[in-house]
Amino acid sequence: MLWKDSYELGVPVIDAQHKELFRRVESFLQVLRSETGWTEKIPKINETLDFMKMYVVEHFRDEEEYQKSVGYPGYEAHKELHNGMVNYVLEVLKKYEQSSHDEQLMQQFGGRLLAWLINHVAAEDQRIAEYAIKKGMGGDGR
Amino acid sequence: MEDKIYKTFVDATHNVFNLMLNISDISDQPGEKFNCDREIDIAIGVVGDLQGKVIYRFPVATSLGIVRLMSGMEFNEVDAFVTSAISEIANIISGNVLTALSENMKCDILPPVQCEPEDDKEYEIKTSCCICAAIGDICLEIRLNKAA
Repeated sequence: MLWKDSYELGVPVIDAQHKELFRRVESFLQVLRSETGWTEKIPKINETLDFMKMYVVEHFRDEEEYQKSVGYPGYEAHKELHNGMVNYVLEVLKKYEQSSHDEQLMQQFGGRLLAWLINHVAAEDQRIAEYAIKKGMGGDGR
Repeated sequence: MEDKIYKTFVDATHNVFNLMLNISDISDQPGEKFNCDREIDIAIGVVGDLQGKVIYRFPVATSLGIVRLMSGMEFNEVDAFVTSAISEIANIISGNVLTALSENMKCDILPPVQCEPEDDKEYEIKTSCCICAAIGDICLEIRLNKAA
């Protein structure tokens, strides 16, 4: 299982979104790495990509709102990380469509997405939670 | 300067392995101790007050182990997925190093690229370290010049 309880920030709405994101990415990776032929995988891959495009933007927006609400000083830098990932996702999706569903491109995307997501949630997002807790604004009263 | 940069890379690798892979027992040795036949070499270019590159040498077995740990899935050979995930880890470690050095110098990193480890060019800062962890060793070859 990709998700680990240690990733929890103590902010219920963000934690729920992170769990959903991890669940979707895990499902995407299972399809991507399965033994099935590539053509058969394409519908499921496309479905996940459509979800990601919509959900990542929504989640990042909610997370940025939360950062603003607690006065997180690293807001601008964190927003830049989000923007960088959104741009990367959109760029890959464009190339993927232009290449008529190139498998190698999607394998590269999967590898980077896995490492990026784990680092982002396990390291970058934890700084927000540490700051909020220090300021007495932790979402679960920590 | 060389010692400080060496230590910053070791510390950043330690932090990234700890947070991303839950591996905390890490030590470092001089790069000469690194011994590997089959590896993935990833170069991260550096521009700004420091210029050059850092080459991350990930043995195949270590790379597969790292991706297995992150995904919980089996990986038996290096492919585009594994190379991309390992490249992102090199990118993350390098980004953390530049953040740690940012009070004293302004640098940026370039996207990771696969490369060959040999490099005959001379650099003002030329050092390497072998990071030893339960998942296996990796070698970082640091090749940097101070901007004129």
